[in-house]
Amino acid sequence: MQTFLQYTILGLAIGGSYFIAASGLVVTYTTSGIFNFAQGAIAMIAVFTYWQFRWGWNWPAPLALLMVLGVLAPLLGAALYQVVMKNLRGTSEVTKIIVPIGVMLGFQALATWVWNPTSSTPRQFQKFFGPNAFVHFGSIKVSWHEIIAFVIAIAIAVGIRLLFVRTRSGVAMRAVVDDPELLQLNGGRPERLAMISWAGGSFLAALAGILIQPMIGSAMSAGQLTLLVIDAFAAAMFGRLRSLPRTLAGALVIGITTTYVIAYFPSKWTWASSFRNSLPMIFLFIVLIVLPQDRLRGATVLRLRERFRMPSIRTAWIAGLVLMVVVFCLKVIMERTAVNTLTLALTFAIIALSLVLLTGFAGEINLAALSFGAIAVIVVYHFGTTGSGSDARTTLWGILLAAVVTALVGAVIALPALRLRGLYLALATMAFGVFVSRMVLTERNERDIFGLKFTIFTAGQLTIPKPKIGPFDFNSPDAFLFLCAGLFAIIGIGMVYLRHSGYGRRLAAMKDSPAASATLGMSVVRLKLSIFMMSTAIAGIGGVMMAAQIGTVNSDRFDILLSLSLMMITVVGGIGYISGALFAGIFLIAFVQMLDLTLKKFAVDYSSIEAIFLFFVSVVTVLPATIGITMGKNPSGAVSEILNGLDQIKQSKPLVITLVGLEAAIWALAATDVITNWHFVILTMVNLFIVPVVGGKVLLARAMRGVPKPVPPELVGIDRPFTFDDLAEMDRALDLEGVVVPSAGTVREGATGVSA
Amino acid sequence: MSLLETVDVKVKFGGNVALNDVSISVEAGSVTGLIGPNGAGKTTLFNTITGLQPLTSGKIVFNGKDVTKEPPHKRTRMGLARTFQRLELFTSLSVRDNVRVAGEIRNRWSFRTARMDVNAETDRIIQLVGLADVADREVGEIPTGQARVVELARALMIQPTLLLLDEPASGQTEEETEQFGELLKDLARNDGLGICLVEHDMALVMKVCETIHVLDFGIIISSGTADYVRNDPTVIDAYLGSPESVG
Ligand SMILES: Nc1ncnc2c1ncn2[C@@H]1O[C@H](COP(=O)(O)OP(=O)(O)OP(=O)(O)O)[C@@H](O)[C@H]1O
Ligand SMILES: [Mg+2]
Repeated sequence: MQTFLQYTILGLAIGGSYFIAASGLVVTYTTSGIFNFAQGAIAMIAVFTYWQFRWGWNWPAPLALLMVLGVLAPLLGAALYQVVMKNLRGTSEVTKIIVPIGVMLGFQALATWVWNPTSSTPRQFQKFFGPNAFVHFGSIKVSWHEIIAFVIAIAIAVGIRLLFVRTRSGVAMRAVVDDPELLQLNGGRPERLAMISWAGGSFLAALAGILIQPMIGSAMSAGQLTLLVIDAFAAAMFGRLRSLPRTLAGALVIGITTTYVIAYFPSKWTWASSFRNSLPMIFLFIVLIVLPQDRLRGATVLRLRERFRMPSIRTAWIAGLVLMVVVFCLKVIMERTAVNTLTLALTFAIIALSLVLLTGFAGEINLAALSFGAIAVIVVYHFGTTGSGSDARTTLWGILLAAVVTALVGAVIALPALRLRGLYLALATMAFGVFVSRMVLTERNERDIFGLKFTIFTAGQLTIPKPKIGPFDFNSPDAFLFLCAGLFAIIGIGMVYLRHSGYGRRLAAMKDSPAASATLGMSVVRLKLSIFMMSTAIAGIGGVMMAAQIGTVNSDRFDILLSLSLMMITVVGGIGYISGALFAGIFLIAFVQMLDLTLKKFAVDYSSIEAIFLFFVSVVTVLPATIGITMGKNPSGAVSEILNGLDQIKQSKPLVITLVGLEAAIWALAATDVITNWHFVILTMVNLFIVPVVGGKVLLARAMRGVPKPVPPELVGIDRPFTFDDLAEMDRALDLEGVVVPSAGTVREGATGVSA
Repeated sequence: MSLLETVDVKVKFGGNVALNDVSISVEAGSVTGLIGPNGAGKTTLFNTITGLQPLTSGKIVFNGKDVTKEPPHKRTRMGLARTFQRLELFTSLSVRDNVRVAGEIRNRWSFRTARMDVNAETDRIIQLVGLADVADREVGEIPTGQARVVELARALMIQPTLLLLDEPASGQTEEETEQFGELLKDLARNDGLGICLVEHDMALVMKVCETIHVLDFGIIISSGTADYVRNDPTVIDAYLGSPESVG
């Protein structure tokens, strides 16, 4: 009985903190329509900052609290909205998901930079009033901290409820997502409300973090706190991202169950603690299954803002060939380690192809590509290899089996979420990713599964040999490099074929307007399921290749944060393009690593200014996230920018010759060892990225001189459709500062009705 | 028996009653008009008929079958097609592919025997609605008036028996509207299609519609022939009471 009460109270306190974080999610989502993936990361930053004030600099607790909760957290939230999130109105769901993820990754990198996790003394974080402040109720003793956590949670629940129901701005807040234009017509100011709610959401995240950190009782870890967002969104999902009372109920249920698992599961169940950690994910799945079907949505995005051109099949074959030739040329001049890096980059590019297929072609989102890779790797490890020692090889059948199993797992994960909005599928996959990390990849004990005795993740690492397919042995690094390049090219070309087929057109239709597709008789769920399975199969194959390249992989290789980075960089590269996937692999693996190594080398070479270079090493870790955050500005990605440049270059012979000639010269220098590989890479980057963009701009400027006058405003929409620029232009003309730009149809019609 | 009947359809958004016991019917082989001031609930009614908007109460009967519980794609497979007021074109496809993909979607659900030759049918429909000139353009680049015709072409590809058109002529030039009206009449008369037309262009409505329902604040205030509705004082009131007047 005593244990029961003790754990119930702890559960309520933890659940209460989950609720506080979750309510922040709900508030920001309701007012801005953006799901704040960075909620956990904000909590994490707040916890570290609080630690810094309170124990790093020995400030008194009230001052530290006031500073973090009263000043910094709300400021951070408001700034995030003003600088980043505000620009996301009118962008696609994908961009709305990717940008907050960029923020999350950025904070994560920032925290490891500022508060180095490997530093000497572990950071201690104590409960309010110290670790020994207890109240005694009969035979049980409860820490003040737990009581405070629970009371605050209830107070916040009541407070927000009153705010939403009783006050004018609260009621207005609820209206923003439903119809921002309507609210504006009625004199509301959605932008300001959204900013205030982001400040509030950030405050709630910070509060939740500070309350929960000492209760989970482990050392402060940036990663763990960042993933607090998942526990919070599991709770928020109970209330369908709307209802706060249900969110509170969900949070308490999750909190209590997790503590009961610790209390009552027999200690010989070695998986109990992984199970405990995965519980929120399991809850999330159950909730997804029981949530009712969403209304089908139409195209809410203004056309023209995100456009991807699909290459013709012929172009795809040529591009594939060019890739093979380029890889060959590179191989000739590169050192062994560089070849390995390139191969690894290509395996990541294959995984990124799965994202292009799913997101670029079909508009759905998978945030845990590498976790599906992990499943495939486990399958290959257990069932897909022959021989042993240095003769061990991965078999073709092993790879195919892995692809099939991954596809099936994908189906199971996606099925409950497919009836729902894209965001829910994204959340389901993220939950799956964390589940795999916490539950599957921690499985190091031998288990008896369906009569088969084996260990899923033996000794924390799996060894995957290089593949041998028929008579072809890909054991040598060069052969494997070509295998990966060839695989990327084949899958890429296959995807272009697919996109030009009836199936591909149906995917495009579904992506552009689920509502219109359904009213043409399409079973949207079935199509989504098939594409999701296909995509996870590719992720699986890519994962196996990655593991084979590395040789022996541990669970870190499949970390959810890495999946998120890959997704983000692919979007940055251009989620609609095969080359976007290539960009992602090369950027994430080769480019970042190369910058890192080069800077570190410089730091050694020029030790007097070492600090400067080491500073830039840290900047590099934050770089991908920073780029991701800017996505709101150019949602079509970097590749499209480059392609646009290339298009114009193609029309100008001198530029083409310059480009190719320069590149050949650079290569020749490298092949004859005049310049090092590093120089080669940097010069090539400059040549390929800068010349097209600059050249394109120059050409454009020249072409502009002959361009006819722009269409007069009153004919826009008649002579040609609206663009964002037109709207901005009109706003300026009519002096409508800060008017929300509504979505496409509304502009045409001036109607307030929300279409299907 | 009518091709389509809505029976006491009620839809509430929070406390706002968008449709209040709306009962209308659409006959095969004729054009039925649905008119009303802005915000009257016309689009909402279309959404309930196609299954995109759940009802608060009431039922939808199509071809004599109660389809209130059916999801949108099932209703379409029974012969129901529509266009959208807020264009829902497939913006990553060309005009031709927008039309073609509709046929490809249809071939996935129609019975094997009823499969169409998609390419031939695409060409035929594009000719029929007069989109041949812009067929290879990106659908995002063509003017709104023509974009609406693409929506019509797409809907025709699934060979429906009932066609719901939501303001198909807005954005069209006078000449285009003229042709469009003729096309609608042809489709109803020659192919036996039932057409329900929501439109603010009163000249067009009066010209092509045999029956007209008038919706105001979610209530049907008048139903009858064009002549009857035009002279109905409640209708005139409704329109004069709103900023928009009968065209
Ligand atoms: N999803 C929604 N949520 C809340 N209210 C809605 C929604 N859709 C429509 N409404 C409201 O229902 C009413 C009817 O809208 P509807 O779009 O059906 O009008 P309409 O007759 O099509 O007008 P218009 O001629 O401008 O197209 C309006 O008051 C509108 O604001
Ligand atoms: Mg309407």
